[in-house]
Parts: sequence; structure tokens; C-alpha cells
Amino acid sequence: MSLVTARGISKAFGGIDALVNLDLDVEAGEAVGIAGPNGAGKTTLFNCLLGLVEPDAGTVELDGRRIDRLPTWRRSRLGIGRTFQRLALFEGMTVAEHLLVAEQARRGGISFVRDLVERSEPRPSELERVDATLELLGLTDLADRPVEGLSLGHARLVELGRALMGPPRLLMLDEPSSGLDAAETARLAAILTDLRHRSGTAIVLVEHDLQLVEAVVDRLYVLDFGQLLAVGTVRDVLADERVRQAYLGTDR
Amino acid sequence: MTELLSYAIPGIPFGCVFALMAIGLVLTYTTSGVFNLAFGAQAFVSGLAFVSLIADGWPRWAAAVLAIVVLGPAVGLALDRLLFRRVRTASPVVKLVPSLGLLIALPQLALIIAGSVPTIAPPALFLNAQHVYLHVDGVPVSGLELSIMLATAVVVAALLLLARLTPFGLRMRAVVESPRLVELSGINASRVGATAWVISSCFAGLAGVLLAPLYSQIDPQNYTVLLVWGIAAAVIARFESVPLALIGSLALGVGQQVLAGYLPPGVIASGLRPSLPFLVLLVFLPFGRRNRIEDPLAGCDPPPSTLVEDARRYRPASTLAVDGGRATQVVGVWHRALRAGSSESLAARALRRPTSVVAWTLAGLAVLSALTWVSADWLLTMTQGLAFGTVFVSLTLLTGMSGQISLCQAAFAGVGGFAAGQLATQMGWPVLVAGVAGGAAAALLGVIVALPTLRLAGLPLALATLAFALLADNVLFPVSWLGDGASGVRIPRPSVGPVRFTASRPFFLLALVLLAVSAGVVKRIGDGTTGRYLAAMRGSETAASSVGIDVHRLRIGVFAISAGIAGVGGALYGSLQGSLVPNDFNYQVSLVLLVVAAIVGLGSIGGAVVAGLVYTALQRAVATLPSRYAGLVAVLFGLATLSYTRHPEGIVDFLGGRFTELWGRLLAATRQAPRAGGAGVPGPGAEPEPAHGTVRP
Repeated sequence: MSLVTARGISKAFGGIDALVNLDLDVEAGEAVGIAGPNGAGKTTLFNCLLGLVEPDAGTVELDGRRIDRLPTWRRSRLGIGRTFQRLALFEGMTVAEHLLVAEQARRGGISFVRDLVERSEPRPSELERVDATLELLGLTDLADRPVEGLSLGHARLVELGRALMGPPRLLMLDEPSSGLDAAETARLAAILTDLRHRSGTAIVLVEHDLQLVEAVVDRLYVLDFGQLLAVGTVRDVLADERVRQAYLGTDR
Repeated sequence: MTELLSYAIPGIPFGCVFALMAIGLVLTYTTSGVFNLAFGAQAFVSGLAFVSLIADGWPRWAAAVLAIVVLGPAVGLALDRLLFRRVRTASPVVKLVPSLGLLIALPQLALIIAGSVPTIAPPALFLNAQHVYLHVDGVPVSGLELSIMLATAVVVAALLLLARLTPFGLRMRAVVESPRLVELSGINASRVGATAWVISSCFAGLAGVLLAPLYSQIDPQNYTVLLVWGIAAAVIARFESVPLALIGSLALGVGQQVLAGYLPPGVIASGLRPSLPFLVLLVFLPFGRRNRIEDPLAGCDPPPSTLVEDARRYRPASTLAVDGGRATQVVGVWHRALRAGSSESLAARALRRPTSVVAWTLAGLAVLSALTWVSADWLLTMTQGLAFGTVFVSLTLLTGMSGQISLCQAAFAGVGGFAAGQLATQMGWPVLVAGVAGGAAAALLGVIVALPTLRLAGLPLALATLAFALLADNVLFPVSWLGDGASGVRIPRPSVGPVRFTASRPFFLLALVLLAVSAGVVKRIGDGTTGRYLAAMRGSETAASSVGIDVHRLRIGVFAISAGIAGVGGALYGSLQGSLVPNDFNYQVSLVLLVVAAIVGLGSIGGAVVAGLVYTALQRAVATLPSRYAGLVAVLFGLATLSYTRHPEGIVDFLGGRFTELWGRLLAATRQAPRAGGAGVPGPGAEPEPAHGTVRP
């Protein structure tokens, strides 16, 4: 059974169809890429899967359980992590705090009373997981820096780290390589591959960088104007004539 | 029909004036991102100038030109240059506070300059105000009404033509979409913005001049009401559509007159009309700009200036070398290092120690003085300061820590105080118990405010809370079982067993304890797990919910706790004064509270306590100064907003940071004097490139 099964997702903004009757399947531990020109509906798909945008039609299942009526925070706790194309960091917090807050939020609820009664220090186990993720992403030296001063590349890694806490069963990455240089992108590919092999995390990757896509992804969906243009292995899809015309240009 | 028309037609001039205000708000908001509440004050300035000049014998046309075309834009341009230009990309609180400060300060400054309010009845802009020029279905239309309608029609038509047909209009509409793209096309976006600012200031000035003759005398109060209606119309226009602002304003103007005509007199009727803007805001706010297309460049590198600018502003002290060259971030970071025992955090704590020692010594001396030698009336001021400090602490939690702008904090305090008073006097509850129950009532109200506003953030949330404060003023406070109108509610001073808090020094101690408890609650929440959730929510609600934080529940909780603390503060204040009247906590108090809190320091509990003392000391100064100069306090307020745009962290945190920084420099100089250059203080831009990429898994 698939980890994620989305059926017939449609979403229109005013007169613009962002998504038209889209189906998406992601197996456990699989890496799926989503490509398409700007405005093809990739980010909207993420938003619909996580409940940040309510689709006009369609269903989403996680592990066979309907989640499309659940609020975002509940879906997140069921094991969906995501990064944002436009950075959405918590201003004023340090790098380590970003990871800690995600770790605590995914595992425990909100209790004002508990905070009042007992002094709530982070547990050693939580700090260990924060440290491990910092280490994995090479952010250890920046742990106690506020995020405002970070370069765009580091900021993207902080978003990735925040999405990795919990840890998620499904990781949705929205153009993680934009703002990263070639070496950093290669490193990101290594991290993602490693993550799949070690923890079996399923990945949905929205990305324009084809090298990263080829390095990480098993199957590739290509969207155009909210509709599915092609799906298959990266090699097959990139050879598809319609995909070339819509997205890659004909001279490739 | 004639009856309906006889109510509707007098409403049209009001609608026209609301429209001018609303269009001014929309124009500056779309072109510069600042929702300029100070337009209410600018309208008053122009209106006052117009009437004063005529009282001095100027011809009507000359007074009108000077007030609308010269003074209006001049004030607007000065404010833009001095204040608003600096905060365009800042956070919603930082954008809102200067305009609120000016809304309070400008009218007072104008009154000081004018000397006195002219006693003549304000004339119409043109035409003879009393003469009836025409009849519509038997309903007379006076020159006053006709002049307002004609003037509004002409300027709105001119604006629409300008926007649609001229190159400047095209640029202006382009700036609305994306100032950065416009800059990239070689157009000076800030000049376009400034021109839009001038135009909208003219609109505000015209609104001020036109509004004046609708009342028998010129009064700042009427202009604040005008502003509130203008805000409601701007919300109907979704903050972006000029034609919708016009239509909405006319509907509001006519609607309120028709309501006034048909509703039977009574509390509900007299309360319903002023709270019409509230209802409009609640109904229309959720529809504002939701599907707006984002600035296409917003996601590009370099990131929007907000982050960079705020980073620079919020962290005045950068890195300091304290021990063997190891850099320690002094302000903002060290206390949030996750491990309290780490060497960085220990070093930073040592660095901070003198600052906190000085702060606590000052606080201790103040308490000692209050208990020994301070005179009775200053002791009263200090106790009032502690009561208001409690209210300010509630703002620290809600706005400072959680990023939720509240313009109804005084309403929470008032409801807490009134409920406590009613329970103590009518039901015979012990005063302390009644005070806690008042806090609980306010907390319940906090939940009631939080629920319909869950989907709002930033400016829309601020406006919704403002609307709520107006509703409380007009509907909740006048009813006999709560605020009991102008007569107010008596609140005795408490006693517990043999301990009586009737004397002023014991009451001071009681206030101190209550403040300490409230501060402790807020600090505990802020330091713990929930505090991190709150900080995450402040940073980005979307991202917070995507990591699994139930943002709605968090907001309801934080509104409840904050309102509860404010309610206890209100009860404390009432008990100190012996009674409470609605004007102690009307919506203007809410505005002042937020401005004072922001200027003095929203970010820390120390800031809240100082804010309480500053607030009551200012009130005392107003009471003791000769009446003509009482406005000087408000002017000081305006000046303080100037400093605020440079230091949004607030005066207290700024001074604390400076002191720590000085101490750090001193330490570094003495310890590392032999090693020349070792104690460098690299700025944020010169931070060493971190060793990213060398750690490979």
C-alpha cells in the first residue's frame, strides 16, 4: 500500500486552475520528483497535501487513512515534514531552537499549565536528536546563531533540518537547491540519499535542478498548468516529447 | 419613501467624508505598505487650520488652499520622510506604532500651536451652508451637503482618471504590485510612493475641512470617529480598491443615519450605531487580500530587506570577544543557548551580570523608597504604575512574545475591573476573590475575541481588536450590570483576615505581589516549551503549523491568559482608586497602552514594569501642567515614536544592551590589552565564514 495516495486534487484561484484533477502516489521510502514550469501548481500541491490550502476537490490518504479533513498541525504530527520555497523561518530564534521546537511540537502537545507548574527544560533525548540533525546537515557551528544572519543556503538547510525533526515519514521539499552552489547541492543530494537508505523516509521533491533530481528521485511527475503531463522514471520522462516542449525547450 | 430619504440624504455627506479618509488609507497602504492611522490626526490638523484661519478673518478660498493643498501634504510628506519611510519593510507592530503615536500626538501639537479652539461655527468649503439649493423627492439638500458631495465627486473622479490614464498612474499601480520590479525598470519607486503619500494627505486634509461644518464645533474626538469609519470602509475595499472604498463609505454613511432614524432610543440603539464599524470589520476582515499575488521577486536572492533590516535593528550589540578570543553574542542569543551550562552561555551570563545587578538594585531602591520616605501622592503614582505594569505585562505576553497585536487590552482590563467591582459590591464577595474572578471574566472575553479573529494576523488582527475595543466602549461598558455608564463602579480595597490593605503602603505591597505573580507567570511561559511555540507562531504561523504546532489553540490560550492578567491589573487599579469609570479604560487607552509598551519595551518584563511607571508618571504630568501645555506630554509621545523607528526593541532593552556592551568592551580591553587587535568587535557583516562543508558524514 502506498504511503500517500492523493486522488483528484483540484484547486482554482479565481479564474486560474492551479491543479486539475491530479493523482499522486508515493510509496514508503520512495523518492518522487515533481517538475514543471513556474506556475504549474507544484507548491499548491504541497499546500493541499499539508492542508495549508483547502483543495476544491479530491482526497488525500496517508497510510490508508483519510487526512484531508485534518488541520495542518495534525497532518504534520502524523509524519509529514516540509520546507518552503519562500523561506518561512522563525525570526529571532536560533538554528538549534528551530530544530528543537519542531522536535517538541511533533512529539508533544501544548500545555500552558505544565509550563507553569514545572520548569520545562528540553529533555536530553530531544537535545541529542537536535545535535544529530545539526551534525548531519553540517550546521553544528551555527547552532546558537539567530537565523537572520544566515546565508540563503544555510537558511535552506535550517528549513530542511526543521522538517527532519520528528522524524517525518514523508518529506516534502520545495526547491531546496535554489540559493545553493554546486558543492552545496551535491552535498544536499548526498544527505537526501543517505536519509532514504538509513531511515526509509519518503521524499517528494519539487526542483528545477535536474542534476539533483536525477541523483535523488526514482519517479518524476511533470505538471503543466495544473495538469499531469507525464510520469515515469526520470530518463523516460525527460525523453518524452511533450515534456521537452512544455518545460525543457526543444533544443535539448 | 420620503421618510427614508430624509434619513438617507443627510447620511451621504458623512459617507463622502468617510470615503476621502478611506481612499487616503488605501492609497498609502497599497503604495507603501503603511496603514497610516495618523490620517485621522492629519485631517484634524487641516480642519483646525481651516477654521482658525477663517476665525482670523481670512477669505474662505485662501484658508481652504492653505489647509488642504499646502498644510495637508506638507505634514504628510514630513511624516513620510521622518518616520514611515524607515518602517516600510518592518514587522506589523513596528509599522503600526508610529502611526498610532502620531494619531495621539498630532492633534495636541496642533492645539498648542493654535492656542485655542475657535468658537465660531465651521463654515462649508463653498456655497452657503444653510441655504437649500434643491429638493430631492421633497427632502431639502442644503449648501453644506451639496458642497461636500460636489467636492468629493470631483477629487475622486480626478484620482481615478489620474490612476487610469496618466503615466504616473501606471507607475503607481506598478508600485502596488512590486516596488522592487519597478525599481529594476529604472523608476524611482520611493518617489512614486512619496507622491501617493502627498495625494492621500490632500485627501485627509480635504476630509478634515469638509467634516468640520458637520459638527457645531471642531473637536479632535470627531476626527477619531471619522478615522474609525474610514478604517471600516478601507476594510470593505480589501485595503486595495478605491471604487469599493467609495461605495462602502457611502453605504456606511447612509446606513448609520438610517439606523439612527429608525431604531428606538436606548442603550442598544446608542450602542449599535457606534459599533457598526466593528460589525463591518468583523464581517469583512476575513476577506482581505487573501488571494493576492505575491511580489514576484519576494523569493529571490537577496531576500527582502525585512529580515536583514530587522536583524540589524534588533541586535544592536554584535559580537564581543570576552575570553581568549571566543566570540559571544551578547544580546538576544546567549540566553537562548539550549544548554545553560555551556561555556558560551556562562561567559555571556557573566557579561550580563552587572546589567541585571544594576537593574535589580534600582528596583530594590524604588521599593524601599516607596515603603519609607516617598510622599503620599507619589506613592499613589507608583502604585498606579504597578497596576498598569500588570496590564503591560499582559501585552508583553500577547504582543511581545506571541506577535499578536492587541488594541483592546484596556477593554480587557476594564471588564476585569468592572466585574470585580460588581461582584464585590453587589454580591458581597471578598475583594481579592472578586479580583481573581474579574480576571477570569476578562480571560473568557479574551477567548471570545480570539475565536472570530483566529484567521487574522498583523494589521487585520490589530483592526479587529480595535473594533472590539470600540464595541466594549459602546455596548459592554454602559450596561448597568457591568460598567454602569458614566457613574462607574465602586471597588473597595481588600482585606484578608486581620490584614487590611486600605492604607496606601500595604496596598503598594499587595500591588507589588500581584505584579510579581503576573510577571512570573509570563516569564515561566516565555522561558519554557510554550514560549518557543509562541516565538515560532510570531515568526510564521504557516511554518509553525507545518511543524505540528496547533496555532489556533495556542492563540486562544495566549489571548485568555493575557486578557486574564490585564483583567487583574484593571481590578487592582480600580481597587486602588476606589472606583472605576468607563473612560479609565476606553479604546484610546488601549491605543496609548500599545504605543507606550512598544516605545519603552515590549520584549521584556522589565520593559513592561518601566512602561507602567512611565505611563502613570506621564498622566500625573498631564494633570499638574497648566492646561495649555498638557498637550506637551502628547507631543513628547510623538517624538518618542521617532526614536522608536530606530530602536524597535524599546528603550529599556536598548539601554540594557548598551550597558552590557560597554561592560563587555571594558572587560575585553582589560583582559586582552597585551594582544593588540585580539579584541576586535566584528560587525554582523564581518562574521567569520562558518566551517560549513568541512563536516562530512
